Amino acid sequence: MIGNRKTRRGALAATACLALATSLGACGLDSGGSSEGNDDEIVIGVSLPLTGDFSEPGKGVQRGYEAWASYVNDNGGLLGKQVRLEILDDQSSADRVASDYEKLINQEKVDLIFGPFSTRLVVPAAQVAKDYGFLFVEPAGAAEEVFTQGFDNLFYAAPAIADDHYNLLAEEIIAMPEAERPKTAAYATMDDPFAQGTAYGLKDKLEAAGIRTVADEVYPPNTTDFSSIAAKIADTEADIVVGGTQYQDAVNLIVALQQLNFQPKMAAFSTAPTNPEFPEAIGAKTEGILSPTGYTPDATYPENQTFVEYYTEMHGGPPAEDEANAWTTGEVVAAAVEASDCADPSPECQQQLIDHLREATVDTVVGPLSWDAEGRPESAHLIQQYVDGKIRIVLPKDQAEADFVAVKPAW
Amino acid sequence: MPSASSTRTGFDTALLGIKGLALVAAGVLVLAFPQLAPDAFILSVGVVIASYAALAVSWNFVGGFTGYISLGHAAYSGLGGYGTALLILEAGWNPWLSLVGSAVAVGVLALPIGFASLRVRGASFVIVSIALVLILLLVSQSWSDVTGGSNGLRVPRPFGEDVLRPEQHERFFYLHVGLIVIALAVWWAIDRSRFGTGLKAIREDEDKAQALGVPTFAYKLTVFVISAFFTALAGGMYALWFGSLDPIFQFSILVGSYMVLMSLLGGIRSLLGPVVGAVIVGYSLEYFKSAYGDTQFHLVALGLLLALVVLFMPDGVLPALGSLVDRIRPDKATSIREMTAAELVEKNKEIDEARREPEEVSR
Amino acid sequence: MSGSLLLQSVILGLLLGGLYALLAAGLTLYFGVMRVVMIAHSAFLILAAYLAWWFQRETGLDPLLSLVVTVPLFFVVGFVMQRLLLARLRPATLTMMSVLLTFAIALTIEGLLGYVFSGTQRRIQLDYSGSSLEVFGANIAVVKLIAFGLAAVALLGLWALMKLTRFGQALRATIQHPEAARLLGINTDRIAGFGFGLGLATAAIGGTALSLDSTIYPSLHWHWIGPLMAIIVIGGLGSIPGAAIAAMLLGVSQSLLQVPLGTTWAQTVFYIALFATLMVRPQGFFGGRLAQRF
Repeated sequence: MIGNRKTRRGALAATACLALATSLGACGLDSGGSSEGNDDEIVIGVSLPLTGDFSEPGKGVQRGYEAWASYVNDNGGLLGKQVRLEILDDQSSADRVASDYEKLINQEKVDLIFGPFSTRLVVPAAQVAKDYGFLFVEPAGAAEEVFTQGFDNLFYAAPAIADDHYNLLAEEIIAMPEAERPKTAAYATMDDPFAQGTAYGLKDKLEAAGIRTVADEVYPPNTTDFSSIAAKIADTEADIVVGGTQYQDAVNLIVALQQLNFQPKMAAFSTAPTNPEFPEAIGAKTEGILSPTGYTPDATYPENQTFVEYYTEMHGGPPAEDEANAWTTGEVVAAAVEASDCADPSPECQQQLIDHLREATVDTVVGPLSWDAEGRPESAHLIQQYVDGKIRIVLPKDQAEADFVAVKPAW
Repeated sequence: MPSASSTRTGFDTALLGIKGLALVAAGVLVLAFPQLAPDAFILSVGVVIASYAALAVSWNFVGGFTGYISLGHAAYSGLGGYGTALLILEAGWNPWLSLVGSAVAVGVLALPIGFASLRVRGASFVIVSIALVLILLLVSQSWSDVTGGSNGLRVPRPFGEDVLRPEQHERFFYLHVGLIVIALAVWWAIDRSRFGTGLKAIREDEDKAQALGVPTFAYKLTVFVISAFFTALAGGMYALWFGSLDPIFQFSILVGSYMVLMSLLGGIRSLLGPVVGAVIVGYSLEYFKSAYGDTQFHLVALGLLLALVVLFMPDGVLPALGSLVDRIRPDKATSIREMTAAELVEKNKEIDEARREPEEVSR
Repeated sequence: MSGSLLLQSVILGLLLGGLYALLAAGLTLYFGVMRVVMIAHSAFLILAAYLAWWFQRETGLDPLLSLVVTVPLFFVVGFVMQRLLLARLRPATLTMMSVLLTFAIALTIEGLLGYVFSGTQRRIQLDYSGSSLEVFGANIAVVKLIAFGLAAVALLGLWALMKLTRFGQALRATIQHPEAARLLGINTDRIAGFGFGLGLATAAIGGTALSLDSTIYPSLHWHWIGPLMAIIVIGGLGSIPGAAIAAMLLGVSQSLLQVPLGTTWAQTVFYIALFATLMVRPQGFFGGRLAQRF
């Protein structure tokens, strides 16, 4: 295996190093990769959080990338060459992610790069990519701030940025008759650009429509005790509870609200409800919980049917959103490569790829994607809801699998 | 640096020559490093290690002289980084002016902090130093109007867009080396001064030092502020190079513990100890990462390394080497055991010019 | 702030304070017998919580049953750790070096937890996770009540052990005056080892209590060690009642401050209290004259 070979080479190099003890950090840090001078394959460098805070979604993205590469190789490769992924672990650290891309570009001499996971890691990584003129398509940096840093090489491979995730829900609520419409809303958001972006996007729209904000709680990532936040929200008796959440924080918040026996009319949380383990984690009291999603395995795009089929065969289960975004990233880069007929690290080729995507519309597993000048995708997220014990698409109406339930049953 | 004693033997002269040669060779190697580095990645690793070394040397002002182990020096490096970024972004200052301005501000801030935390010794001091990092982490995450909250801040580049990334690495490598040299020079000057002797008396026995008339509190506070100043400079320099600040990594106990580990490993009583420690630890961190990258094994390795150093080598690598040399020395008579604080202060009074460093002789 | 929210916050604060008190008591014990600040205490706390979670996942039994194994196990680990590691350090630099050594142990535990269980956040799923009792309009979660009860029983047990048994007498003698205790024929080294084991056993109980109603992940111990350290300094290093009182007061203050300030700012109460204590009374509010020295 690759890991083994790396270790052994590393150990050898380290021994040589200690013996010489002269050339500082220069020895022992080579990766054991053999990408240089090999023209019959395209090497794609990725850094992912495989350990640390973001390791769970990071591994999802990894599965998606690997499935995509294996699919491409099974179907004749890219520009007739085999694709090889070079994946490093950034330990969920911003310092590491920059150094990883530095290593991939300079030492591994990769031909192309894919983005890492999480907004916090995307920004430092995109800076490195920009400095070396690389195209940077990323599966997970959805927060608005990613697009305001002047990165002209960046494209987000998903339907919409964080602030727009709840757009369809906001429209639905605002369109309700005055009497049925919720009057007050409570927000609880993780202090994370992505999670907060989703909830605040909805907050802005609801406030504009006259729905009063009665609680706005922000908690740091890795908060584990939600009893006080839940107590405050319960005390406001808000009609709608919105969580700008990732996974575990949403579970904890919901359990804490249940412990206080607080029953809002509507409850929406980002990310967590789409996780297959979610119903069990909150004691199966999921009925009526809403969540935005950028992806559903049931989507009817031909690309998606191929993807779901291939992925299910490989892993024994359908892909989730992280896997889909990773696959989408692959599709977007592949489209640019095929249109420009080049895949090498030279600035000319990378610039061609960037210029192509600026104008292009790419058909992907999440539908056709196109981008504005800063790399924001220009589509919309779907809204899902637990109806009869199963999570189904309820908005938009033309793709709905079940009817939108406006008043949530008790949890 | 250890100087030769008055009764210099041939062995000592030879030793001094070897040391001098090694030092010159190391210096040349460091200066030539950017040219020797095979690619920009290795160069960036060099910058990280230089940054570690700058932090460790800055830490060693407090740790080495007074023996007060601070696990929370990340507080000052983090503040230095944030201060630099805020002065550039909010006040529109020149980046280099911001760097110095923020370090001065951190030095001033260290006065009340030192005043509170140096009132207690040992365990309480360590607890307070940890608490400081944790409180700053909370503040930087919460006060989002100023610090950008959990998103952190982006630090504008001091060099223009036309300076390519490898070129940036090279410039920052030399800037870090420059900072290390300045800090080492200050450390060296203090080491030979009366002030330094008083500080070391605190390290050996604070009560006796006080009884003998050393103004312990003022001394401790002064060196604490100097240490905070240099740590903030190193933190700000890193921020300028790296370009973005994330509160979790700026105010991290782990970073503080790296500084302690590097200094202890190299030897807190010697001038170059922290630099040697930083090179060893910085290199090991990169190595663990590339060898065991996708597991948490690097934490285990760091923990075990720290435990081994504490248990078996609390004086560090350089002193261990020194005692090895002592063992092969032909005449063992010149070898002096560590002096007590009382003897030290007394001796200092006798030889006012304090040309020699009695404690360091032949260590 | 409505009355029911106030009552709710006070109750939540008391329940949290109970857990803080138990854990701070363990830390105080180490400091008492050996003048050691045990940074790894909260890492063992998380380790115990992981063992409870793992036990529940593998056997499907109630996580409280894992105490039968973890408490004796931790006692032995504590004893061995004191005898083999901490007793090796030089007395002159013991306090400083023990901080570093226990810090190293904490890192190792965190790394191993990440290695074995990965960094994913875990939470025990119990039938009664969401249930609560209503008292005067406030809702008290059953799991929190169990955790508090566990902490209270353990603290009472610790108190009884210290006050009523011969071993407790020897332990207290060792804490108060090791030399005199040695002269009286007490094997202070062994007693120090037992004291350490006892301290670590409190971490086992605390960790199990914690696992009932909280998410756990390997680096969680950093969130606990700060407040706990602040508590033992404020209470006065070495004083168990001081630690318990400080824990309850700070737990309630934190919970009340969360209402106007939000969670993050409320946590700073520990550190502000810590700095204030150092300015006003560096030896802590219940500590002996020794506390300032260490």
